[in-house]
Amino acid sequence: MKEERCFVKENKKINENYFLMKIKAEYISKNSKPGNFVMVNVSETFDPLLKRPFGIFKSEPPFIWLYFEVVGKGTKLLSNFKKNDKISILGPLGNSLPEFKNKKILMIAGGRGIVPIFYSIHTYSQHNDIFLVYGAKSEKDLNLYEEIKSKKLKKLFLYTDNGSVGKKGLVTSDVKNIINNNKVDITISCGPEPMFKTLVKKIEHLGTENYISMEAIMGCGFGICHSCAKKTKNDSYKQVCTDGPIFKMEDIKW
Amino acid sequence: MVDLSTDLGFIKLKNPVITASGTFGYGEEFQDFFNLDILGAFVLKGIYKNPRSGNPPPRIHETASGLLNSIGLPGPGAKELQKIVKRIHRLTKTPIIINVCGDTDEEYIEVAEIFDKMDEVTMLELNISCPNIKRGGKCPAQDEKHTYKLVNQIKHNTSKPLIVKLSPNVNDISSIAISAEQAGADCISLVNTFLGMAVDLDSKRPVFKNLFAGLSGPAIKPLALKLVWEAVQSVHIPVIGIGGITSGRDVLEFILTGASAVQIGTINIVEPKASVRIIKEIEDIMKKLNIKNLDEIKGKLKI
Repeated sequence: MKEERCFVKENKKINENYFLMKIKAEYISKNSKPGNFVMVNVSETFDPLLKRPFGIFKSEPPFIWLYFEVVGKGTKLLSNFKKNDKISILGPLGNSLPEFKNKKILMIAGGRGIVPIFYSIHTYSQHNDIFLVYGAKSEKDLNLYEEIKSKKLKKLFLYTDNGSVGKKGLVTSDVKNIINNNKVDITISCGPEPMFKTLVKKIEHLGTENYISMEAIMGCGFGICHSCAKKTKNDSYKQVCTDGPIFKMEDIKW
Repeated sequence: MVDLSTDLGFIKLKNPVITASGTFGYGEEFQDFFNLDILGAFVLKGIYKNPRSGNPPPRIHETASGLLNSIGLPGPGAKELQKIVKRIHRLTKTPIIINVCGDTDEEYIEVAEIFDKMDEVTMLELNISCPNIKRGGKCPAQDEKHTYKLVNQIKHNTSKPLIVKLSPNVNDISSIAISAEQAGADCISLVNTFLGMAVDLDSKRPVFKNLFAGLSGPAIKPLALKLVWEAVQSVHIPVIGIGGITSGRDVLEFILTGASAVQIGTINIVEPKASVRIIKEIEDIMKKLNIKNLDEIKGKLKI
């Protein structure tokens, strides 16, 4: 973990709300693992004050890629960064996924939850069979289709809420059948909280090992401020930034 | 050469930069960023007798140049912290300050006594001002009689230097500062966070379950500076200035106002190496302005 002075290499507008940023970050790119995240300083002033957490989308030293949706002040500022702009980034942060070999892994990504999933596909597809369920509200939220297609996937299942691309429905619609029909060993999922809530009901009894990557409002990103608390099954709190962002699905209280 | 040291009477610090409670963990989390030896001192996260899990989320809300928090002082309890203190003392010789908390006076005294017995601990800071306690954030610091009684009891039961950390959420800071001094405090530190509130227009609910939360960060600096000024005018014991400090210039402004040292808080969360930068900036400014030691400017504000 280090605060690194980095350079923006490209800040590509995917569509009106989504950006894919390529950043030269030597230390962070060399030391990151699937599941890790970074805290990005979006402004040199104190407004906004806090750094913003982003999952690492891809890491190929000396570069990392961030894929983000403009949702507020911080992401709006980040969208304005241009090529060669300096950017201060703290990372890599958080825990990471374990190593897998010869497993059938189902990855489930809802909306911008594709970020850690994409990194995981990249890492695990060499020695495992990867099935991907990817869904979003509509076509404009379901980006990176070309990037994903280029990955070694056993099967890809696409969904949109309105049916504009792929099947009409939610990412959770057919997961039970997908797991059973393909004898899935492991699931890795990332998405909004309602997605997890539905998912846990549908898959927790199927015998798979279930990993999730969680989002949270964060202060520091390295365990100091205790802002990003999530309640666990035994009613204690875990910190998303240092105990996570990867958790076993059954450890969280939904 | 400039001399950054500052004398609090009961201890001389190598520089006036102390990291504030709740923004610096237990120190060891910052080892990856810098050598703890560079600091004047550091205050550990506030501690109660028993383990606490803290408040339900959301626990923070960002404001313009500020941060509202309602963390609820989660912690491992005094027994576990004793082990941590031994561990960090092996890492650094920088003075360790324990931030003592309590739901009752008895608990405050019990916690203070536990750490008073530890050789690894240099000072105690009494957190009578934490606004995160339930019942609308009422605390001993809001009542001068309660402040006097509690500080007096702690002083009778402990022997280490005692810093009393004051709340800004009072009508008259001078009377509270004087109460702490008369009860035997060796030093006062101020300010803790200002009570604030955030509401969510979509849900039509307050952001925090406890309704109020504590505001910190650059937004509060002028408010803090004013209260530090008033405290300095009221007491003879040293004053540690706290509130929105992000630069060496900010530190020197507090010293000029009469503070003997400062605590830096929220900026540690934003920029883990902030204290390294701030100490360097103090040195650079002193060289530039030809200030040889802090006594040359301490309390020298021209009114």
